[in-house]
Amino acid sequence: MLQINDLHATVGGKTILNGLTLTVNAGEVHAIMGPNGAGKSTLSYVLAGRAGYEVTGGSVTFDGHDLLALAPHQRAAAGLFLGLQYPVEIPGVSNLAFLRTALNAQRKQRGEAEASGAEFMKLVKVEAEGFGLSMDMLKRPVNVGFSGGEKKRNEMVQMAVLAPKLAVLDETDSGLDIDALRVVSDGINRLRSPERATLLITHYQRLLDYVVPDRVHVLVAGRIERSGGPELAHELEREGYVRQAA
Amino acid sequence: MSAYPTRKIEDWRWSDLSGLDALAAGHANDALPDLSRYWIDLDGPRLVFADGRFVEALSDRRGLTVTAVRSAPGHPLGDVAAAKATTGLWLTRTANTPAIGPIQIVHVASGGASHLSSRIELARDAHAEIVETHVGAGWSNVTATVALAEGARLMRTIRVLKTGGAHTDFTLATVAQAASYTSAALVTGADSARLEARIKLDGTGAFAEADGVMLSRGEQNLDSFTRVQHAAPGGSSRQVWRSVADDRSTASVAGRVEVARDAQKTDAEQSVKALLLARTATANAKPELEIFADDVKCAHGATVGELNRDALFYLQSRGVDPAAAKALLTRAFIADALDRIGDETVREAVTADAIAWLEAK
Repeated sequence: MLQINDLHATVGGKTILNGLTLTVNAGEVHAIMGPNGAGKSTLSYVLAGRAGYEVTGGSVTFDGHDLLALAPHQRAAAGLFLGLQYPVEIPGVSNLAFLRTALNAQRKQRGEAEASGAEFMKLVKVEAEGFGLSMDMLKRPVNVGFSGGEKKRNEMVQMAVLAPKLAVLDETDSGLDIDALRVVSDGINRLRSPERATLLITHYQRLLDYVVPDRVHVLVAGRIERSGGPELAHELEREGYVRQAA
Repeated sequence: MSAYPTRKIEDWRWSDLSGLDALAAGHANDALPDLSRYWIDLDGPRLVFADGRFVEALSDRRGLTVTAVRSAPGHPLGDVAAAKATTGLWLTRTANTPAIGPIQIVHVASGGASHLSSRIELARDAHAEIVETHVGAGWSNVTATVALAEGARLMRTIRVLKTGGAHTDFTLATVAQAASYTSAALVTGADSARLEARIKLDGTGAFAEADGVMLSRGEQNLDSFTRVQHAAPGGSSRQVWRSVADDRSTASVAGRVEVARDAQKTDAEQSVKALLLARTATANAKPELEIFADDVKCAHGATVGELNRDALFYLQSRGVDPAAAKALLTRAFIADALDRIGDETVREAVTADAIAWLEAK
């Protein structure tokens, strides 16, 4: 599904990713953990193609595509979803208009028929209920006046409606209370399937109690320093990231 | 040499009137464009003016009076229109005249100078709705004097959808006790445009609203100047302007609220915001307040900014291409002003014009 090979990237001339290699297969959930400044968010932005994040070496293959050759909107249409750490507020654009525009933009790029109003509403209604977001909130401008938890639930609704092949979730667990964490985790688990993959980027092991990953990777100074099974997350929680001196 | 105001005069500093003489020396093109796309689906009179003449054959007058109005409004361009116009709308309504529906005016200025001078007089508790659309590539110079008696209501919409040339527009309005004057403007076409209104609230509890959207690209120079004079107590006024400037164009909005000493309990609000779509574009925003009363509520705000990069990336990360993302955010930006148009059919038509501009890039 996703092969990242020897990826190097800079932000503002500063090297942040420094030879990162990672493979995520279809059907798997991987977690990337690491201290602040290790390059976790940079990895997510590089994968999504944000301007200002410059790839200086390496390659990324996603579902047969050379991911780095695609524009951000093309990556989305190819099936990549980035759940943002800080979802953006957009005054004047309702959540429904935003999501319908996005869904149909992706379908159009893939040569599929656009969703009718009724089809779209049916789809959204189910997912909004599942993530505990009222229709009233969906009619409001994108994330405007939403609490931190509501913004993350909204990201999950978007993910569920857009049904990506690969979801990269950047600190989706940050700012969530325990109830919201459970709702979000259930949502991620619900979307697990043999055709899909998830990359969870997180600072804490907390989320991984609810979404048990197949693999856990430790990102330090722009590269994967260790990889292991779910037990690695617990080990990191006990011993911290700065153990590797030995 | 013309005697038009120059940029050295403060109230005209953002206007470009330098091309008017050359435009006036041009010639009208006798072939009328297809006007069907300018009519909004409203049941009411339809008036067509072409190069300063009334075109009866293309109009549905429904008894309205069409004639030149000779009263000079006391304005350098408005006075020219009043002196030179050979036609215009003379609308008088009372509360008892049978309803005629919204009045639509399409004015084609194909070349040369086209002047229209109109008068709108609404007697006590009368109401009227007018939609004016200016098209063509010549110079259209129009003026209107508006007198609203106690409790009268006028809703105006002005669309400048020209394909070049210039549009200059001056309104002089007086609003009596508990009467209401509202206007919304959309200015897209025209190499240069100047929209000006002077609205005087001279009765207790009078209301005025003057909103607008200006969309400029290429080398266009668009400017508006709204002056609301609160001369009586308890009046309220609103000015909501949104402008979008691309390429090397300039969009300028000035709004002034003057509150006289007797106009206590005035409630005035101004919101002037501009969006630059290119670093080479220019936007000017100038809300002004001049208050001589001591018990008033006056709020004003002005911003000039660019599209939010985070929001652009957010949309793109969800599959929306950069041009569509830009258009969606720009549309949201101008909605603040367009959403204030009270007539839903008109609001949708004007919004569609604005979207057509956004998508034309």
